[in-house]
Amino acid sequence: MAHFHDLTVTDVTKTIRDAVVVTLKPVNGGDFDFIQGQYLTFRQKFDGIEVRRSYSICAGKDDGVLQVGIKKVEGGAFSTWANETLAPGMVIEAMEPMGSFHTPIDPRQAKNYLGFAGGSGITPVLSNMKTVLAREPRSTFTLVYANRGVNTIMFREELEDLKNLHMGRLTVIHILESDAQDIDLFTGRMDAEKCKALFTHWIDIDSVDTSFICGPEPMMLGISAALRDHGLSDDQIKFELFASAQPGRLKRKAGSAASTAAAKSTEATITMDGASRSFTMDKDQTVLDAALENALDAPFACKAGVCSTCRCKVIEGEVEMVANHALEDYEVQQGYVLSCQSYPLTDRIVVDYDH
Amino acid sequence: MAQDMTIDSYLAQGGKLTNPTNVPPRYRAELLKIMATFVDSELAGAAGFADVINAGPGIKERIAAARIVLEKTDNADTVLNLMGEFGANTDRYANHHPWTDRLPRDTPPGTARNAHDMRLSVLNYPLDGWVDAVTMNLCMGLAVGVQLDEFLTSSYQPFAEAIRKITPVEARHTELAEEGLQKLIAQGGGPAAVAAVTYWRPRVAAVFGEGARDRFEQLKAWGLRRTPNATLGATWESRLDDALARLDLSA
Repeated sequence: MAHFHDLTVTDVTKTIRDAVVVTLKPVNGGDFDFIQGQYLTFRQKFDGIEVRRSYSICAGKDDGVLQVGIKKVEGGAFSTWANETLAPGMVIEAMEPMGSFHTPIDPRQAKNYLGFAGGSGITPVLSNMKTVLAREPRSTFTLVYANRGVNTIMFREELEDLKNLHMGRLTVIHILESDAQDIDLFTGRMDAEKCKALFTHWIDIDSVDTSFICGPEPMMLGISAALRDHGLSDDQIKFELFASAQPGRLKRKAGSAASTAAAKSTEATITMDGASRSFTMDKDQTVLDAALENALDAPFACKAGVCSTCRCKVIEGEVEMVANHALEDYEVQQGYVLSCQSYPLTDRIVVDYDH
Repeated sequence: MAQDMTIDSYLAQGGKLTNPTNVPPRYRAELLKIMATFVDSELAGAAGFADVINAGPGIKERIAAARIVLEKTDNADTVLNLMGEFGANTDRYANHHPWTDRLPRDTPPGTARNAHDMRLSVLNYPLDGWVDAVTMNLCMGLAVGVQLDEFLTSSYQPFAEAIRKITPVEARHTELAEEGLQKLIAQGGGPAAVAAVTYWRPRVAAVFGEGARDRFEQLKAWGLRRTPNATLGATWESRLDDALARLDLSA
């Protein structure tokens, strides 16, 4: 199960005007031995509201560091904070690396990889690219990297260095939306048509074994359609979506919080396995989390309002269930709630898990 | 680059989601429901089959049964780990649950699920001896095959990838069942097999029960499903008929 661990920030480097590369070191425990292309999920409170954001690891397996790239997004609380406030010595919380944006590495194989990256979508592609080039001496990597203009290209110098380091095995094609280049084909938007033109003139698509795509939605659709048209199957195409809007966790309805602004906490009594325990809990906390925090062995599994493992009955008081995909109407009428989705509304609640 | 595409329109055009953070809440709920159903069914199926390992008439049969138990548990683990990335407590999930619980054998076919887990309804019925277990494995294995085909194109890429690995393993279980049943029939187990087919067929069929149409359309728009249950059910019926014809068990 995924837990948050403390990581010390050891370095923050600006790559371009609005993007930083953050180097991290685990403080005590957590398995941060990542696979190339994986991401870290961070959490941070802003004005009392927890925000979770995921950022891809940009380091290769042999770089010996844990690094993520964070590009500032307009209005993005976390990315702005990371770009403006985050500094070496600070401690930040993240879950262990996750994600399956990678293919198995085998030093004996000679594969041709084709990577597509849009803007900050370069981070997990870069991690894969560095690892492949270092660990598969017979493989080649072609990177098609789309950006608005020259000054928004993340890792531009690093890519040049990699080309020199792996002479003849790494090809980088920059596609720039607004800056003109020597070759017309390399200017404009990265879409299905651009792909087709690249496949006709620059990339031998028939020799490609695996393709990595990371960028915003329209780019992913256009490129994957072009790849499929050229005979690549689903298991040859690896995606990592950098959604333009990362949805956060489910929020409580604002209205209810305002109407009970008087008390921010609730006196809770929870019965489980025949025994009852009372404690004070925060109204911003789910009944399940409060129970777990108070050493009650409350049952739960998905924590998403789906599996109904955490079902309990409200005996006294009122809670607000923000999501319910598991309980039938009649169960709700009888007072059953999913404790992972339920926040106290009244100043006192009594809840029973044994019913 | 145009950055203003909504997730819904991206999915409607065949886009793939790749990790929990770019999954919208409602999609997440439906995806977790699909994954939980798969995991619970594999765990319940494995648990039920574990009980009949010793009923196998020979060493080879017991090895086959034990392998099925092992691999179904392994398949559950693969998908449970994906659920873990969404915050499911994977340690607790598998352990704190009576996976071998079943209804009385004579419970009529239906779609009611166990109140405490998301296993498919068919897995609430108990196995009754070796021939019954092998027959159930064949009937259900063919249904699982149809369902897995449906998930191969899931818009949640990590799930589709997991299913791609799981599909050939499950297909082998169904082959083992057919081979085993062939042997049992040759040894005079025909009448028991016919009785078992009669018992299991309607119960497996219920797996493809009519769901709410709106819900299916929504799942389809999100790329989590593509074929209506009625069509999947018909595919299963015809694959089962073919298998029964090969075994000379056609009624």
